[in-house]
Parts: sequence; C-alpha cells; structure tokens
Amino acid sequence: MQWILTALGATAAAGLELLEALAIILAVGASRRWRDALLGAGAAVVACLAVAAALGPALLAQASGDPLRVIVGVLLLLFGLEWLRKGVLRLAGRRARSSSAAEYDETRSELEDDPLPPPGRPDWAGRIVAFKGVLLEGIEVVLIVSALGARPGGLAPALVGTTIALVLVVGLGVWARRPLSRVPETELKCGVGVVLTTFGTFFCAEGLGVDWPGGDLALLYVGAVVAAVAAVQVAALARPAARVKA
Amino acid sequence: MSVLRELRKLVLGETWVLPLGVAALLAASLILRAVAPDLWEDAGGFLLLGGVVGLLAVSAGSASRRRSG
Repeated sequence: MQWILTALGATAAAGLELLEALAIILAVGASRRWRDALLGAGAAVVACLAVAAALGPALLAQASGDPLRVIVGVLLLLFGLEWLRKGVLRLAGRRARSSSAAEYDETRSELEDDPLPPPGRPDWAGRIVAFKGVLLEGIEVVLIVSALGARPGGLAPALVGTTIALVLVVGLGVWARRPLSRVPETELKCGVGVVLTTFGTFFCAEGLGVDWPGGDLALLYVGAVVAAVAAVQVAALARPAARVKA
Repeated sequence: MSVLRELRKLVLGETWVLPLGVAALLAASLILRAVAPDLWEDAGGFLLLGGVVGLLAVSAGSASRRRSG
C-alpha cells in the first residue's frame, strides 16, 4: 500500500513540476536558441543533483527512526497543505488555474524585449531564464522526493515514481514541442496535495508514537477525510469564474 | 535575492499561516503525548488529522477573504 501510494505521489508531484520546467525550456528554445535553452537547463539539473546528493545523506545522518518520521511528516505536511490550499482556491475560482501553457506564453513574452546576440555568441538571457526556471521547479522535486524517500523503504518507490515522471515529461516534450493545454493541472495538483498531506499526517503521528487502527490502511481513511474536507471547502468558497482575480 | 525568496516560498509556502500552524500542531501533539500518553497512542492520529484539516480550512479561508477584500 505505502509502496504504491509513494510511487504514485512521486510520479504525480515530479511530473507536474517537470511539466512547468519543460514549458520554460520549450519557450526559451522556441523563441531563442535550443542550445542555450538546453545549456541553462542542464546546469540547473546538475545543481539539483548536487542538492539531492547533499540533502538525502544529511537527512538520514541527522535522524533515524521516530524523529526521522516526524521530520519527514512535517516536510510533507508543509508541501501538501500548500498544494491543497492553492488547489482549493483555484478549484473554487478564487485564483487563476495552474497552467504550463500560460507559463510558456509568459516566458516567451519575458524574453521578447531582450535582443538575441549574433550567432556564435552565448545568449545569457535565454540561459539564465532556463536555468532559473528549471532550478526552482527541480528543487521542489528534490525536496518532495527526498521527503517521500527518506522514510524506511521509501527510497525505491520514490525513485521509480520520479523516473516514470521524467521519462513521460521528456517524451512529451520531444513529441509535442509545446506544452499541452489540456492537462488538468489544477485537479492533479490538488490530488498530489491530498496524497502528500495524508502521508505527512500518517508519518508525523507514527513518529510521535500513535498506533493507527488498521496499520497502513489508515492511509486510505486519512486520505478520504482530507479529500472530503478539501471538496467541501471548494464548494463553500466557489464563486463564478468571471470574478476571478489572477 | 529573488531566487532565495522563491526558495523560501517553496519550502514554507506563500503565507506564514501554514508553517506556524504546523509548528503549533506539533507542539500541541508533544504536550498531549506527555500529559496523556494512553489517550495519545489510541486517538492521537485522529486528533492530529482534525488539526490538519482545521489548518487547511483556516489557511484557505483566510487567503480567500484577503483576495475578496
């Protein structure tokens, strides 16, 4: 149960963040030069791998057993509740929906004012935009996957899920060459928020000595309660889309 | 500096309500565990879950009111 939910959570969380990073790379590549877009993105990937290499062992060296469960639980609660809060506001029409296609357009217009240097000269504006975009989305992937993978037995499903997400998103980028506007990112992000909040609550309580009735099955009823409360809140806050503020 | 600001937002979120709320939940859990260990072991998970969904309701509600105001 935990294995499958961890893998699913990692796939969805990493996939959604990578979609946003892909939109930025595609925007820089299509409006500037592919070489500079890929160089900026590649440098960001190296930086993210360095953070992952430092974070994982540091987390495991500082704590183990119950304290580690509490640390992982708190991290997952912080990520999960933030994703859920934004998801509730978006689904209720109180905030603009999440869209990689919009990010693609924004990045393209951001670069429009910067003249492209002559061929053979590095395009630093394009490289920096690609680097910054991939770094920020990549760090979020590293933090979530590290938190999901830090608990005992969690590393394998977290890495499997992340690898599946990486293959899917890179394949999508090569095939489509522009972000897909039909992916229901807001609903998926809300689902990831439910999964991360559920894991966060479960591990925090376990680390503090709680004996969950049903063992791992508690993940199901905790997740159901979190999802139900989020749905009720969406209904309570819902208002017509015409009055939405971005 | 903008990258550092973005990184802080990534870890702690856009508002202080959630990190402060999670810290308060953790502190309350530790106190309850020390005061009533048996109650905590049996019902602590449900109490924490109640706190978590309450925190979600407060954070989304307050953000919604700010945007309406």
